[in-house]
Amino acid sequence: MSDLFVALTPPNLLACFVGTVLGTIVGVLPGLGPAGAMALVLPLTIKLGPTAGLIMLAGIYYGAMYGGSTTSILVNVPGEAASVVTTIDGYRLARKGRAGAALAVAAIASFVAGTFSVVALQLAAPLVARAALAFGPAEYFAFALLGVVLLANLTGGSRVKSLAMVVVGIMLATVGMDPLGGSVRFTFDVAGAQAGFSFIAVTAGLFGVAEVLTTMAEPASTLAAAKVKFSELYPSREELRRSVPPMLRGTVLGFLVGLIPGPAATIASFVSYGVEQKVSKYRHELGTGAIEGVAGPEAANNAAAGGGMIPLLSLGLPFTPSTAVLLSGMLLMSVTPGPFLLRDHPQVFWGVIGSFYVGNVMLLLLNLARVATIPSRYLMPGVLVLCVVAAYSDNNNVFDVWVLVAAGIIGWAMRGLGYNPAPLVLGLVLGPLLERSLLQALTIARGNVRGLWSSGPSAVMLIAAVLVSLAPLVSVVRRRVRA
Amino acid sequence: MSRDRHSAVGLAVFAIAYLLGDRRYPLDTLATPGPGLFPLMAGLALLALAAWQFATAGSHARAPAQPASTTLQAVEPAAVGPPLVMVGILIVYAALFRLIGFFPTSVALVFVSSRLMGLGGWWRPATLALGITAASHVVFVRWLGVPLP
Repeated sequence: MSDLFVALTPPNLLACFVGTVLGTIVGVLPGLGPAGAMALVLPLTIKLGPTAGLIMLAGIYYGAMYGGSTTSILVNVPGEAASVVTTIDGYRLARKGRAGAALAVAAIASFVAGTFSVVALQLAAPLVARAALAFGPAEYFAFALLGVVLLANLTGGSRVKSLAMVVVGIMLATVGMDPLGGSVRFTFDVAGAQAGFSFIAVTAGLFGVAEVLTTMAEPASTLAAAKVKFSELYPSREELRRSVPPMLRGTVLGFLVGLIPGPAATIASFVSYGVEQKVSKYRHELGTGAIEGVAGPEAANNAAAGGGMIPLLSLGLPFTPSTAVLLSGMLLMSVTPGPFLLRDHPQVFWGVIGSFYVGNVMLLLLNLARVATIPSRYLMPGVLVLCVVAAYSDNNNVFDVWVLVAAGIIGWAMRGLGYNPAPLVLGLVLGPLLERSLLQALTIARGNVRGLWSSGPSAVMLIAAVLVSLAPLVSVVRRRVRA
Repeated sequence: MSRDRHSAVGLAVFAIAYLLGDRRYPLDTLATPGPGLFPLMAGLALLALAAWQFATAGSHARAPAQPASTTLQAVEPAAVGPPLVMVGILIVYAALFRLIGFFPTSVALVFVSSRLMGLGGWWRPATLALGITAASHVVFVRWLGVPLP
């Protein structure tokens, strides 16, 4: 346990600071994800040695979770998928002149959730990782389906439009290589499409480019409220009071979701928003710029990021691209993660855990110190260039620039027609997981669809999905019967 | 026909085109599913949702309007000009990106977009364009090694 203080030595503190700053920048830049940034600095971290190197890589990982909230709130552009939900209320709060409060609550929620997940990681890692491993394809499918159905309540607008956007996202995810058999689908002999639509290009287009086009339609008023004065940075007592319950709910929920393999941080933020829409005292304000819509999802995605470290550190199994890069870093530094990590490399294990505490404090200060006063006519052209670079650098392919432009135009049209792009993005992320798990479950059950709900957890999640989808229909029927 | 019904028709057309494209891939059996099975399910789901939206769009139109903030803001017709010009510029940008490279195309893109956003004069847009593009070049090409054309 004394190895925990290894994180406080000057070289490790510096590594932690550089990692968290880089992570925050990566989270702020549209599209440039933590996995890519971690891969870029991997050669540097190897030279630092295992403890400092892994502390820096881990700092980028959770720093990006913090930083992603900044652009979501200020310019309606999520830095990474897990911040998509924050745009819904965060950006509207910014337009109401409460950008500072939203940023501060996002930082505090991230800190609370990050600290909770570190403590839980320390106490419960081996036990919960084994439980999470009991998940098979049927459970993955049921879990992803439940997440998708919960999305129907996400935007506060039409559930049909929301579901349609999820399905469009899933359809876009089928372009390229089939996840099981390897067949190439829907590419129409375009070479660049074989790898599928770049998530970065689609997201940067739907949010970044579309935001620029929308801003052009009303340049005088746009982003006027997103200017943050330092004196306005702190949330009011009322905002803080209202943030506490969603923050706590998001923390516990995010941590539990984080244990399950897949894009847990993204799913956790969406599920947290859905839960707030059901249980929050101020649920009628969600979608109009409610502080609960920032506190819950921000806590959830950060707690999930912490939860995602459990399978990696205790069993050596990465379930996200970022933890996969972290695993390759560990292997390159001759540190084998898994059950024997604590015995063989106690300084590395406890040093990284200790750095989470230190990093969370650093990130709280970094996030509270942000002041954005850039007018949109200066900011938006820069956003365009960043989107292009992010899209191109994903595969070094001009096809992705075309995808970015097309997604931007479609995203702008979607806003005009009252469609929210957030469900489409989640469909794009969850599509391959849904397809792979469904087909694997069917294959295991030899084509018997009952195999999908043969286990307890999958049956519970499927029943929950059915109940959630039928609830609006029941209320419509009840209203018509009354009328 | 309401705007929601128009968009429902658009979604249905997209779903049908997707399902026609999916005919090229085998479905096989449930025990050994082929690459066409999942897209078939997704295409049918979108078709059903488009039909649902078309059917309910009329009743939504008669219902009291939702607060503006719970739905996404529609673009004012009068302000569609600058974004449409920008759409054209983005298409030209993507076409020229590989041919003449990141630096000159991005300088032109930032210059024109800042002018369209109301940045007056010539010096400020030109300085902004050169500054943003040069900074992006230094960070991404020099420091991070992104091989931009």
